[in-house]
Amino acid sequence: MAEMWISMGPQHPMTHGLWTLKIKVDGETVVDTVPDLGYIHRGVEKICETRDFTQITTYCDRLCYASANTWSHSYIYAAEDLLGVEVPERAEYIRLIAVELQRIASHLMWMGAYGPDTGNLSVMVWCLREREMMMDLLQELGGSRMHYNFPRIGGVKRDLPHGFVQRARSKLHLFLQRIQEYEALFDESTVFLVRTQGVGYAKPEEMVNHGVSGPNLRAGGVNYDVRWAHPYSVYSELDWEPPVERSSIKGADCYDRYRVRVEEMRVSALLVLQAMEKLPGGPDTYHEPGDPKLLAKAPSRAPEGTSGYHHFEDSRGESMFYIAGGGEGRGKNPYRVSIRSPMFITIPYASKCMIGYKVADIPAIMGSFDPCIGETDR
Amino acid sequence: MGRVVPTSSQKAAAEKLCNSISKMKGVEAETVERTSGTNARWTVSVVCESENWRNLAEKLNNTHSVDYCSMITGIHWPDGPDEKKWEVIYHFLRTGVKNPSSVDGVLQPIVTDPNGVKGVDVPLEIEVSIRIPDTRTPSVASVQDIWVGADWNEKETWDLVGIDFDGHVGMRRVLQPHETPTGYHPLQRHHNLRYHGFEEMYDDAQGFGRKPDDIGKVK
Repeated sequence: MAEMWISMGPQHPMTHGLWTLKIKVDGETVVDTVPDLGYIHRGVEKICETRDFTQITTYCDRLCYASANTWSHSYIYAAEDLLGVEVPERAEYIRLIAVELQRIASHLMWMGAYGPDTGNLSVMVWCLREREMMMDLLQELGGSRMHYNFPRIGGVKRDLPHGFVQRARSKLHLFLQRIQEYEALFDESTVFLVRTQGVGYAKPEEMVNHGVSGPNLRAGGVNYDVRWAHPYSVYSELDWEPPVERSSIKGADCYDRYRVRVEEMRVSALLVLQAMEKLPGGPDTYHEPGDPKLLAKAPSRAPEGTSGYHHFEDSRGESMFYIAGGGEGRGKNPYRVSIRSPMFITIPYASKCMIGYKVADIPAIMGSFDPCIGETDR
Repeated sequence: MGRVVPTSSQKAAAEKLCNSISKMKGVEAETVERTSGTNARWTVSVVCESENWRNLAEKLNNTHSVDYCSMITGIHWPDGPDEKKWEVIYHFLRTGVKNPSSVDGVLQPIVTDPNGVKGVDVPLEIEVSIRIPDTRTPSVASVQDIWVGADWNEKETWDLVGIDFDGHVGMRRVLQPHETPTGYHPLQRHHNLRYHGFEEMYDDAQGFGRKPDDIGKVK
């Protein structure tokens, strides 16, 4: 049969956003793919050159609509590296709580979207119900529902509000029980198993060479995680293990990538519970915003010739900011901000994974990598 | 407690890598202590001449197991010194990831103990900076064939900054529209945003007085 090119997207349920996947098909089999990105390129890197270091945080929140907190924290760590700020320990614990809650919310969003991808619509409603709990908690911290603008260079915006720890504890315990419901819903659905098992194989060494990291990599049976390999924050003080999936010898398939995210939500919930136990100063103290126990003083200018960068474990892989100091206003603005988006690198790899499978497998394979186009296009 | 890579082994690995590659021609390497939050971490910072870049890249990949290309950043320095009008900065990670082996057809996951990593398995951050003198067509050698992860990073750097990569296969616009005029790369410093501060924005919120910076110029 003659081969032909088909465009999937920019409007297609498979895309999880706005981009085009051009596929070359031979009958029902995919023989070549070309991803085409950039539909919502907003020029964040250029805008950052005209904003000062504090203002940039809000732009970073808006990089990803499902995982705003991890992105603003990723920027803040790079900026602290550039400006040479040491962060108070209590602030680091609060940041860890915020980031891990966000990771759960992001994975729930992914799971909610992956259900409909594979013909299991009720999962979406269930996941959004629990995501609401996480967003309520994050709203108590940041004040808004999606774009929290919570971290500050040198600390956090405000302390945990009164009663936050008790509320978070009860919600997380409830959430840990409800994870079992999702597992039942997915693992006992024959349709889901048939559509995800044995498709989209990816091997760890190949993934690393292609720049794929995070949960997608850990699904392949290795425990590489930026949180322990390039340590930051207070992960060293807590007792935790990144989840690792026992994949098949051909590599990680879509089902493994689903399993590893479920386990990662458990680990994140336990990390938050532990961090609240160990919070320096205890959960009952409340510091006013701007207290030195929450916010260290930071210089507002970075001289020319300085640079800072930081590798960060985002919900979708390793994210990174590189900032060169010495921009306009005698270093008030950065000279250059460069953003490493994990999905920008993963989408071309995921598209390669599809070659050899049927057209009907594309939503299952693409969805299992958790694409987010907001961060991809920047 | 504390299952993260200890600073001491990170420092030792950084110094070892540094000593080894600074013997190469046209390569200057040093270890840098960086802070992230409350932690200190040791990284390797390398300045490389652009003609020696392929040699260094192959050595990093083959001998030192640097297996992961994280990001490529291009910077335009129009006011910089003559030897640095353009700069390309590579960020690499050494992950130490291997394919797990299988016993009787059952895969055995590799669970690395962060406290016990040794030799070339110690995770490390490497920054390589390449300076390019004043030219209208800046370019460096492509490393797309060594790290496939560099492929789309190189495409993006050319698309936004205009630095070309010799030997890159399939260079094209990735973030900007395909019909973007040839030679237009927005992160070059002579392209300005129309708005620069709030005052300017609020004085003319409707944008009636707004004019493109390049008005009257022929593209």
